[in-house]
Amino acid sequence: MLQITGLTTRYGSISALRSASLEVRSGEVVGLIGPNGAGKTTLLGSIAGLLSPAEGTVSFEGTDITGAAPEKLLRAGIALVPEHRRIFVDLTCEENLKIGGITVSKSERAVLLEEMADTFPVLRDKWTTPAGFLSGGEAQQLAIARALMSKPRLLMMDEPSLGLAPVLVDVVFDLIATLKEQGRTLLVVEQNATRMLEVSDRAYVLRSGEVAAEGTGAELLERSDLFDTFVGG
Amino acid sequence: MLSLLQNLIDGLGRGSIYALLALGVAVIFGVMHLLNFAHGELITVSGYVAFWALGAGWSWWVMVPLIIVTSVATSLVIERVAFSRVRGASDFTLLLTSFGVHFVVSAIFLLYVSASVKNFSRPGWVADTFSIGSLNVEIFDMVVIVVTIVTLIGTTLLLQRTMFGLALRAAAADFDTARLMGVKSDSVIRGAFALSGFLAGIAAIFWLMRAGSVQPSAGIDPMLKGVLAALIGGLASLRGAVLGGFALGLAEVFLRSWLPDSIASLTEGVVFVLIALLFIFRPQGLIATATAERV
Amino acid sequence: MFPDLRRDVIFPFGGAVALFALFAGIALSYQALLGTGSAERLVTVMLIDAIVVVGIQIYVGNTGILSFGHIGFGAIAGYAFAVLAISPTEKAKRIADAPFGLDLVDMGPWLALAIAVAVTLVAATIIGIGLARSGAESGAVAATVITLALLFVTHEVARNWPEVTGGDRAGLAFRIGGALDSRIPIFIALFVGIVTARLFAQSRMGRLAVAAREDNLAARAMGVNPLVQQMVALLLSVAIVSVGAALKVYEDGSILPDDFFFDFTLLTLVMLIVGGRNSVTGALLGVTLMTAGRELARRLGQDGFEIFGIGLDEAPLDWIFRENLQTVFLGLSMLGFMIWRPKGLLDDWELDEWFHRRIERSDAPAPERLSELDSAADATLTVSDIDVRFGGFNALTGAGITAKQGEIVGIIGPNGAGKTTFVNVITGMVPATAGEFSISDGDGTSVLTKEPSFRLSRRGLVRTFQNLRLFGALTVRENVEIGSLVARQGGAKAALRDPDALIAEAGLWEHRNRRANELDYGNSRRLELARAAATAPTFLLLDEPTSGMSDSESVAMIEQVRHMAATVGAGVIVIDHDLAFITGISDRIYVFDQGTVIAEGTPDEVQNDPHVQAVYLGSAAG
Repeated sequence: MLQITGLTTRYGSISALRSASLEVRSGEVVGLIGPNGAGKTTLLGSIAGLLSPAEGTVSFEGTDITGAAPEKLLRAGIALVPEHRRIFVDLTCEENLKIGGITVSKSERAVLLEEMADTFPVLRDKWTTPAGFLSGGEAQQLAIARALMSKPRLLMMDEPSLGLAPVLVDVVFDLIATLKEQGRTLLVVEQNATRMLEVSDRAYVLRSGEVAAEGTGAELLERSDLFDTFVGG
Repeated sequence: MLSLLQNLIDGLGRGSIYALLALGVAVIFGVMHLLNFAHGELITVSGYVAFWALGAGWSWWVMVPLIIVTSVATSLVIERVAFSRVRGASDFTLLLTSFGVHFVVSAIFLLYVSASVKNFSRPGWVADTFSIGSLNVEIFDMVVIVVTIVTLIGTTLLLQRTMFGLALRAAAADFDTARLMGVKSDSVIRGAFALSGFLAGIAAIFWLMRAGSVQPSAGIDPMLKGVLAALIGGLASLRGAVLGGFALGLAEVFLRSWLPDSIASLTEGVVFVLIALLFIFRPQGLIATATAERV
Repeated sequence: MFPDLRRDVIFPFGGAVALFALFAGIALSYQALLGTGSAERLVTVMLIDAIVVVGIQIYVGNTGILSFGHIGFGAIAGYAFAVLAISPTEKAKRIADAPFGLDLVDMGPWLALAIAVAVTLVAATIIGIGLARSGAESGAVAATVITLALLFVTHEVARNWPEVTGGDRAGLAFRIGGALDSRIPIFIALFVGIVTARLFAQSRMGRLAVAAREDNLAARAMGVNPLVQQMVALLLSVAIVSVGAALKVYEDGSILPDDFFFDFTLLTLVMLIVGGRNSVTGALLGVTLMTAGRELARRLGQDGFEIFGIGLDEAPLDWIFRENLQTVFLGLSMLGFMIWRPKGLLDDWELDEWFHRRIERSDAPAPERLSELDSAADATLTVSDIDVRFGGFNALTGAGITAKQGEIVGIIGPNGAGKTTFVNVITGMVPATAGEFSISDGDGTSVLTKEPSFRLSRRGLVRTFQNLRLFGALTVRENVEIGSLVARQGGAKAALRDPDALIAEAGLWEHRNRRANELDYGNSRRLELARAAATAPTFLLLDEPTSGMSDSESVAMIEQVRHMAATVGAGVIVIDHDLAFITGISDRIYVFDQGTVIAEGTPDEVQNDPHVQAVYLGSAAG
């Protein structure tokens, strides 16, 4: 579904991503783990069109989408839940969701809004509250719901558990599991490696801008050497 | 008491026009971080179109749609020709680009029309007044206030109720994320310029009705009022811009009536000094918007 | 005042002489070539414009703040000069009612000029305080609008205060027995202006201003208070603009409000940006090009102008070649440069710097290695019970550490644990909701909790940033020099080291003349470390120094950080997510999670702590 080949992205003279290749197949949950600064966010940004890669290609469902603008990619079927959620704090929950569904028709949007309110009951309670008043966990759910409003065929999430209390981290991973059951295709960047690998079909370990390892979630969980990346010694 | 009321109406009338201009400046600042020093050129261009159309014998009723269309079109053309090329550039570049646009537009009129002031007839009712008791109210002021309120309500509905308005607000809050959600940057920026042009068009109608003349540098004064009012309100806040406009109008009228005669002619200067003082003590404007620097 | 006498005084002075000679030479040969009265006038105007533009460059170039107000300062100087210098008999005709007995003042033009400059400097001081209050930094919108407001205030006052200014129509015709009849004063003023501009840019002040222009936050984090440099730049800049403005009035023989308004602002700003606002050479190049271009446009637009016998004001070109073509030319130049080349033709290229680079030996041997200091210094940083709340979110709750000079203390924790917030608090970038921190040494204990960032760094708490904040347009050497310039003023506690030696220590010797924004990631990190070390810190606070580095680079960084700190005798507090790096480098480690310290101890103790394992591997592995 998503095929990334030899992707290199630079900030000025600095390569944050070095010739990374990976793929996501339809219906899979793919984890992307690695330490801070490994280039995970850069990779998602390069796919989503926020950053322009210097080399390499990104293709989605057979179409080359390298360097396309984010609004085009969303229309092609890729949505990103950005790092730090970045919900619109002055807009209400409902308005945030509507923005998420800007590409679908009005009637469809109404159906999706209903759907999101059912999937995320906490949001229904705060429907007309400015999103800035939401707690961290609620805000993360809103960010995910907002991305789902565009009916993406591929949903990418950047550090969904970042800055959340342990209980809420559970909520997020339960949510990922739920989305997986719904048959959605997910590409998730996480620092919480163990938790992520548990829910992943496959995963890639990124390190210093390069893909250091790949395998099924179970395989990678077995490989204690990988945890040196995070814990050392 | 009477003069207070009189000044209040005068100030609101004046402030209405400033509010419309300021709102246009703030809308563009929101989506592009561009402080538009060329905003007044929309009035200059509208003024010349009005001068030619009125000279050809058209009535002021035709001017209303004509000026609005002119202003919107000019705003879009300026965006296309100049501002679209500096999207995302540094603030320094953006500021000087809009300053450059101001000069190019006024220089074009200097080149192809002339430096002299062109006068045109004003509608007969502009100077009319009516009395309530001993209070003399200019019909013009009342019309301006009413039309402005209607326009502001319309703009609010547009921003609150339509997908375009929602997209504009989202883009103003966080442009990149809005794009991630599928908001088209071209459409939202052009939409913002169209809205800004529309608001300036309404303001232009009244500005020109009152001025009855146009010249190449006619845009400086309205630009300055719009920019200052938007800044008083805090630039990033649309509500603040409107309040800033009214505050500026009221400040001008009240100062003019309170200052001793000998320095009454310096009212504008005093207003600028007050505004500079406001920035010194509240650089973020009257309506503060919190921005945290990420380190 | 100047870091390097040869490079920062002798060469710039020589460069200024050369620039002046070149500029005046071009102007005079143009005049000699044409030999007409109009050419003479054009050259005089160009020389005066150059004074004003070089004056503006000192402020705009070094601070990065766009000012529309310098011509407003020019108006103040111009009117002050005119009112003082015009003879009482002339004044009786035009401003007989002038207040304060100004109509009777009778003084020579040079005393008048001096007073005019003084008056304008007073105004500049007031505006400067305002700019500082508005939090002016490079590209700041509010600061620019304050300067714009100044331009309008002076214009309004000039138009509406006829008792002093003669008002809008009459103007003040300047007669003390004729207009300026010699170019000597203009030449002197221009020469002084160019020398001042070059020397200021090379001086300690100027360098710190440029550092703040490149990255305000990083400069403050190193102990620069940019408001001081901005004020000095403003005053120098306004002084030169004032002299230029007064000479312009003297030369013109009259002053009207519109002489010092939008058109002159546009002209001078276009001249400044076309050549390159960050360079004095650029400013003068801009003046030359724009004067020539404008004159050409004016002539081409004149009626009856012919080229090879073809009249340009006839069809089919009559729609271009019209009167006032020069105004369009200026506006389009401004737009074109902003769109296609916003940094101008020369960017920050200077004649004397180029020459200095040419003759400086590029194969100079690297300085000898620095010896590590025995950490005799004994300062202790104590941070206790820090709370930070953002809205309803508790970023830190009761977090605290202690660190000794000469010791390396690691802070580790997962993303979002509050590590960076913690460093932000002790470097004054985020206010603590509660808690206190202080440094104690032989001289006693000083509580630092409420101090602004630049004071904390002068007190010895100097940080680096997770997302690299170098002064991108400056060279490697200039970056490190900024550090030692700051240290020299700060009453530093640790050892001040030669910047060149630190550059060599960081392995950057061969890159010393490259711009920081051309370096790769690893070198950028090492440069940031060297720059921080150059400030002679008591404690170096490193925020994710290995972020984005490869394994081997991370390992090398352990030794580099340790050695660099020992070289200046500083303590180190280092944040990282990478336990391998932290355990490799630290003497003691604090583990952060959810905004609190959950463990403390030696690397071994921490690694075997079950809490830590849980945090790092998730609950499954805990």
